[in-house]
Amino acid sequence: MKQTEQFILSEADVRRRKFFTGLGQTFLFAITSVAALAVLAIIFFIARDALPFFSGSRTWAFFTSKEWYPTSATPKFGAAAIFAGSFIVTLTAVLFAVPPGILAAVCLSDLLPFNVRQVVKPVVEILAAIPSVVYGFFALVVLAPFLQDTLGAASGVNALNASIILAIMALPTIVSVSEDALQAAGRELREGSYALGATRAETLLKVVIPSAMSGIFSAVLLGIMRALGETMVVWMASGNAAQIPSPFYNLLQPIRTLTATIAGDMGEADQMTGSAHYHVLFAMGLSLLIFSFLCNLAGEWVVNRQRKRLRGA
Amino acid sequence: MTMWKRKLLDRLFSGSAYGAIAVMAFFLVIVIGPIFLKGIGAYLFEGTIDYRRMMLNQFNRGDEQALDVEWAEVKQERKIIYDALFAFEKELDNMSSSRRRELKPAFKQTKEAVAILLGPEPGTPLPALPRRLYGQTRWERAELKAKDVLFEESWDYSGAQGKKVMTPRAPLFKGTALEPLFSKIEKDLESLMRPERTFYPQFLTDKSIDAHFFGGIGPEVMGTIYLALGAMLIAVPLGVIAAIYFQEYAKEGFVFSLLRSCVNTLAGVPSVVFGLFGLAFFINTLRVSPGKSVVAGALTLALLVLPTVIRAAEEAIASVPRTYKEAALSLGAGKWRTILTVILPAALPGILTGIVISMGRAAGETAPIIFTAAVSVGPMVLPSEIFTTSTPALSWNLYNICTEHEAVDEIRHVQYGMALTLVMIVLALNTLAIVLRAKVSRKLKG
Repeated sequence: MKQTEQFILSEADVRRRKFFTGLGQTFLFAITSVAALAVLAIIFFIARDALPFFSGSRTWAFFTSKEWYPTSATPKFGAAAIFAGSFIVTLTAVLFAVPPGILAAVCLSDLLPFNVRQVVKPVVEILAAIPSVVYGFFALVVLAPFLQDTLGAASGVNALNASIILAIMALPTIVSVSEDALQAAGRELREGSYALGATRAETLLKVVIPSAMSGIFSAVLLGIMRALGETMVVWMASGNAAQIPSPFYNLLQPIRTLTATIAGDMGEADQMTGSAHYHVLFAMGLSLLIFSFLCNLAGEWVVNRQRKRLRGA
Repeated sequence: MTMWKRKLLDRLFSGSAYGAIAVMAFFLVIVIGPIFLKGIGAYLFEGTIDYRRMMLNQFNRGDEQALDVEWAEVKQERKIIYDALFAFEKELDNMSSSRRRELKPAFKQTKEAVAILLGPEPGTPLPALPRRLYGQTRWERAELKAKDVLFEESWDYSGAQGKKVMTPRAPLFKGTALEPLFSKIEKDLESLMRPERTFYPQFLTDKSIDAHFFGGIGPEVMGTIYLALGAMLIAVPLGVIAAIYFQEYAKEGFVFSLLRSCVNTLAGVPSVVFGLFGLAFFINTLRVSPGKSVVAGALTLALLVLPTVIRAAEEAIASVPRTYKEAALSLGAGKWRTILTVILPAALPGILTGIVISMGRAAGETAPIIFTAAVSVGPMVLPSEIFTTSTPALSWNLYNICTEHEAVDEIRHVQYGMALTLVMIVLALNTLAIVLRAKVSRKLKG
């Protein structure tokens, strides 16, 4: 008797329940908003400390001048060479990483039998899990002397060294995202192609990869973001010379990137919060942030377009 | 296209795909291999008598009496060296001035090299730096430093690139009182140093002495643990609650997609920008601490891993079979109760997997803690100091001791040891995650 009574709620009980449910939901929503809006806070605070830098002639020089003398008596904040450095290592790293990355994804999704895949996948995961500073240590202690001895570079820490390591770091991202895209292309597509007498290479190159193109594109974008945002490796392996290599494809020269400049200079600048040097580093952070947003947007745009196309078909 | 061409292309394609996997495995081996092989050297090595003396003096470890006996024997052996130095110094005074000018610089270098190999000469005032108080503590370093005594190093710039030339010193001092020194060090180094296989597990917990010349990496390990645990303490509740909201409560719509893309964007923010944000917001605006502190670092890292935690928790919640939820609801449980008692326990292993992976990431990240938490040299931080004190951490200090340290080449074993320790922490966490995931997939298969 008592048991059944518990299920019959008085009106007050119902109201109380509704109230608490509403309260609980609001609480959940509030916490979620905090988590999600953190990114807006990041944009706001980076922009707030970056904006004081952008005044008059400094802005123009920041993007076009190659003269980076932040600590001299009349400081010069020309970051063109630093932007170029970031661009060069990122581009080279992605060029190194994309072909083997896509091939490895093909191998994982179509070539390897299930039990071998179970062994190979952790290899990819471990490559992704190794901390960046450990990669940087490897670049500095193992790869740099090797490059110096075999390629005759003046110094082992240069754009090539950083690009190689960044490529290794971007590989796991490219592989796993491309593999998902290839898997999502579906069995029917492959079976149809095989039934028409195509070989495996033809099936993959002409049917599966084109249909998975949007996923592969976002894999490459993620790889770019990983390489561009990476700090420790470029700081340790790129040589940190604020110059544009001449000719620009001479990877054996040292370069300097945005991330490494922020990391390296903030240590010195942190005593002088509020100085121009402090603000210029935030301006660099803002540039990085904007660039990664653009990559994100591009990725979402491609995925949406693909989704629409599939729905239309 | 003829058949054989198509077949050849097919083979080439498959071959290069397998090749790509091989390349990745190769990368893994060449990155991890040296770190593993040489990193072991920080824990397991040939320690000399000077190592045992240092351990006894600095850490009060070892058998004092046995060491006294051994030290007396070694002192006897080393006396030959010091006698030679002393006798030669006397001899030098009676030499012709041209001969003296020829030998004196070389003698000075030799004497300094001996002091580095064997420690300060008995009877001379003790040096201030602990690193100069003892001879070489590791056998492989001793062998290297013995070469500095035996050979004069110079550079030959006649070619396009400089070449190192090693000239033996012994012929220069032939017939002088210094001669026995060279033959003694060349032939009898082992009895001068007494190398012994040493296992030093306390490397993991000991404080460092004189900027990592001696001792271990305790403060760094502790700092990494603080930062990683702290980050997870903040990120896990936030992340799991957000995942519950996204999966169970949120309705499709503008607010939902806005929150969603915010979380996605957060995942793409470069790690160094998190560091800038931590400095600008947690330290300069909220003032959670007067300067860098463990808490500021943990908060920054928590934001960094938050998207990963949310995504993992969401996936885990989504993979709980619908029937579980329906059964709970049909038994009369409310929505909240269903989530707490049915869905979350079922999703727990999946959530744990995400937590463990994120923790590995938090432990290894460097850039976000540079401006918010890390310090190059410091003592072990006590739990009561986390709001006020910056801390050494494995990731930052690995960077620091292999680039900014004043004697980078002298402490390679510490660098490798630190790298190995960091890699092992991260790999252990990842292995745990792989095991957990295997468990989940087995359970879902039934």
